[in-house]
This record gives sequence, C-alpha cells and structure tokens, in this order.
Amino acid sequence: MTAVVVEHVTKVFNKGRPDEVTALSDVELTVGDGEFVSLIGPSGCGKSTLLRLVADLIEPTTGAITVAGKTAGKARRDQDYGIAFQQAGLFEWRTVLRNVELPLELRGLGRAERRARAEEMLALVGLADFAGHYPAQLSGGMQQRVAIARALAVQPPLLLMDEPFGALDEMTRERLQGELLGICAKTGTSTVFVTHSISEAVFLSTKVVVMSARPGRITAAIDIDLPARDEAARQSERYFEHVTAVRQALRGVPAESAP
Amino acid sequence: MKALPPLVVGVVAIVAWQLTVTLGRIAPFILPAPSAIWAELVEQKRNVWEAALASGTNALLGLVAGALLGVLFAMAASRFRPLAEVSIPFAALLSALPIIALAPILNNMFEATSSIPRRVVAAIIVFFPVFLNTLRGLREVDPIHRELMHTYAASGWTFARKVRLPGALPYVFTGLRQASSLAVIAAIVAEYFGGLQDGLGSRITSAAAFTAYPRAWAYVVGACLLGLVFYLTTLLLERLAMPWRTRLIA
Repeated sequence: MTAVVVEHVTKVFNKGRPDEVTALSDVELTVGDGEFVSLIGPSGCGKSTLLRLVADLIEPTTGAITVAGKTAGKARRDQDYGIAFQQAGLFEWRTVLRNVELPLELRGLGRAERRARAEEMLALVGLADFAGHYPAQLSGGMQQRVAIARALAVQPPLLLMDEPFGALDEMTRERLQGELLGICAKTGTSTVFVTHSISEAVFLSTKVVVMSARPGRITAAIDIDLPARDEAARQSERYFEHVTAVRQALRGVPAESAP
Repeated sequence: MKALPPLVVGVVAIVAWQLTVTLGRIAPFILPAPSAIWAELVEQKRNVWEAALASGTNALLGLVAGALLGVLFAMAASRFRPLAEVSIPFAALLSALPIIALAPILNNMFEATSSIPRRVVAAIIVFFPVFLNTLRGLREVDPIHRELMHTYAASGWTFARKVRLPGALPYVFTGLRQASSLAVIAAIVAEYFGGLQDGLGSRITSAAAFTAYPRAWAYVVGACLLGLVFYLTTLLLERLAMPWRTRLIA
C-alpha cells in the first residue's frame, strides 16, 4: 500500500473573488511506504499547501488525496499521520512529557501506557532527562525535538513536516537531520518533508519533488540514491551531483543540458 | 534584598509624617499623627478586626460570584460569536457606569439587615474585568495549536478544555488581580449608602461623624490591609495555578 497518493489536485483560494489565487494546479504525487519525499521550491510554489492538503487541514478544489488507502479526512480522524511545523507549537502549560502525551490522551490511551510511550519517544529524541521541564525552559532546538517526539508518539505510518528545522541554526539542524533519519529508519515511517534548503532535501530524501510558483505545480521529481546518510555522505561526489541536479531543476534548466 | 528599598522609603515617609504633624502643630482633623492612628488601631483592634471580617466576607463572596459568572459568560461568548458581538459593547458601556451608585437602589430592594446589596455591588464590579479579560484570552489561540488539535480530530469541548482554558489562564488572572482590589473597595464604599452597618465603611463614616479622626484613620488602615490581603492572595493563587510561569521566575 502506498502512503500518499495525490491525483489531479488543484487548489484555488478565494475562488470567484477578485483575489483568487491558484495555489496548486493539477498536482500528481505518490509517496511509497518507507519513502522520504521532500517538497522543495520557491516561496509561493504551494509546497506547504500540498502538505496541508495531505494533512486534511484544507480541502482540494478538485482532485483526490488518499492517505494510507483512505481519504485524507478519514486518515486525519484516525490519526494516521503525525505532523510537525516550523514552530514547535508546544503547549506552554504542559510539561515536556505531557506535551508528548497529548495526542495519545486524545486517542484515549490509559495513563500508564501513555506515559511509557511518551517516555520512549523522548528517549528517541534524546530528551529523556527533560520530561518534567516546561517548554519555555528549553532551547529552540530542544523544543523542536519535543515537537517531533509528539508527532511520532502515536507511531503513525506517515510523518508530515513543514520546514521543521527552518528556524534552527545550522549545527542543530544537521544534528536533527541525522536523528530524524535514524528515527525514520528505525520505525519505517514514510515522510513528506517541506523545505527550501536544497542540501537538506538531498541529504534526507529518497525523492526530491521540485515545484515552481504561479501556478504552483510539480516540475521535476529527482530520485536520490546515496549509499549512506552520514557525515561522509555530505562530502561525497554523489551528494553534490544530486544537489546540482536539484538546483538546476529549480532554475528550470533540464538536467541533461547542464555543463 | 529587593524588599529593602521600599521598606526604607516607607519608614522614612512615616517618620516624616510624624514630624510634620507634631512639629507643624497640624490639627488632628486635618491629619492625625501616625502614632495617634497606631494607638487607636491597637485599642480598637478587636473592632477593626470584626469590621474587616464583615467587609472581607462581603468582598470575598462578591468576588467569587462575580468571577465565576465572568468566566462562564466569557466561555459562552467565545463559543457563540453573535453573543460576544452583542455582549462586548454592553459590557464596556456598563463597566463605565459608576456601579457603586447602584448601592442605594439595591439597599432599598432588600431589608435593612441584609448583606446582599453590598455583595451584589461587589459581584457586578468584579464581573466586568474578569469577563473582558477572560474573553480576550479565550479568543487568542495560537493558530498552530488550533491546527494541531484539528489534526488530532479533537472535539470542540476537548479543544476548549485542553487548549482554550489553560491558554486563557494568564488573562483570567489579570482580570482577577484588578477585580480583587475592586471587590474590597466596592464592599466598603457600598456601606456609605446605607444598608447593614457592620463593616469598615460604616465604621469610617461614623468615626468621622464623631470627629474621632485617628479612629477613622485606624479603620482606613484596616481597609488598606484588607485590600492588600485580597491582592496578595490572588497573586499567590496565580502562581499556584500556573506553575509553568512560576518556575521561570524561580
């Protein structure tokens, strides 16, 4: 079963009004099980819109979205995905542990099971010692890790991330990228990841989907095969080739005609 | 030692007051000396205590009733938009009226021995700051929190309980802090307009009427202390209710 199927999706905001905007035009996307797909493109290309459509936070104007074999709405109600945004969006009145517990709480899990699962997730992101802290006591990078732990808490088959590392410094960002890959490999989670960093997209993904603006559409899908995803991979020839390919696709230059 | 500077200023002010009154031979009906007020306070401490207890009870009951109503109305108004649109201008208008002026009317509505009028006045005065602040807090929800709860498929009631209410707590307490002092003022001043005469307000007026100025001032000191107790208790409750903020200060 494929994790996400997007068929002929068009999204028009403010339809029929003078400020009508076509955010997405006839988009097709398939995310296979265990795949890590990045959406990359200039601002206004509709990459976040596409992610929000998959999350059923907004509805498509035309077309269909299937998540884990169900409609996007059903998948949302069944909590078939975890989501993380650019801002951690933690609840400041809850401790770190209780933030991670929240999605489990809403699923009706028992207290003990909730706690055990949340502690496990916090250990996964390396924050086991901070379970009793409040979010405001943590750094930005730590808060983002809590948000990722929260997204993973229901052990969803699909992880949706909207520039989750966008607000972090380069070093924290690279460390979290490594951690995220490890977690996804361990749990077999499929991921849709919105970013505007080419290097981040190439390093993380099995497929980079390049989008362009006005109207938002997919212009290229580049498969990334790196033998390993470690620090050495960031320096490898193959990695830079892929970075170049993505950059050219973003500029609209066909890959073959590159010098 | 953050408490030291205000303490020093306070002591200096009292000494200066004492010296001005004794050296300047100021008549006690203009301004009695702090030593005279203190002597009255010690002598009358039982009466001051009982009057403060009566006024404090009225203020407390008014505060609790007004605050509960304020929070409940704010919850209803945040849930049903038309209700908020109608009630906010009304609340703003009504809170601009001198509600204390209702006291004589309320006094006539109930028996002379009833404590209800003073409590009602306090409750009405408390209602507005609590209502308006709470409503503002309930309406200000982080858009990310809203979306997250949507992805969790949370119902409206769950959303209100887990996100809106805790998120509004700082606002509720801003309202309560204003309201706690207002409740004491209302309970005391309402007595100036008649009704049952057992609180600080009536003691102040009767002492002043008998030209017992140091005694009147002793009751005023009692009123100050009562207001302070209310305010500090609210601050303490605020800390207890929001441990995530307290820990940041600590």
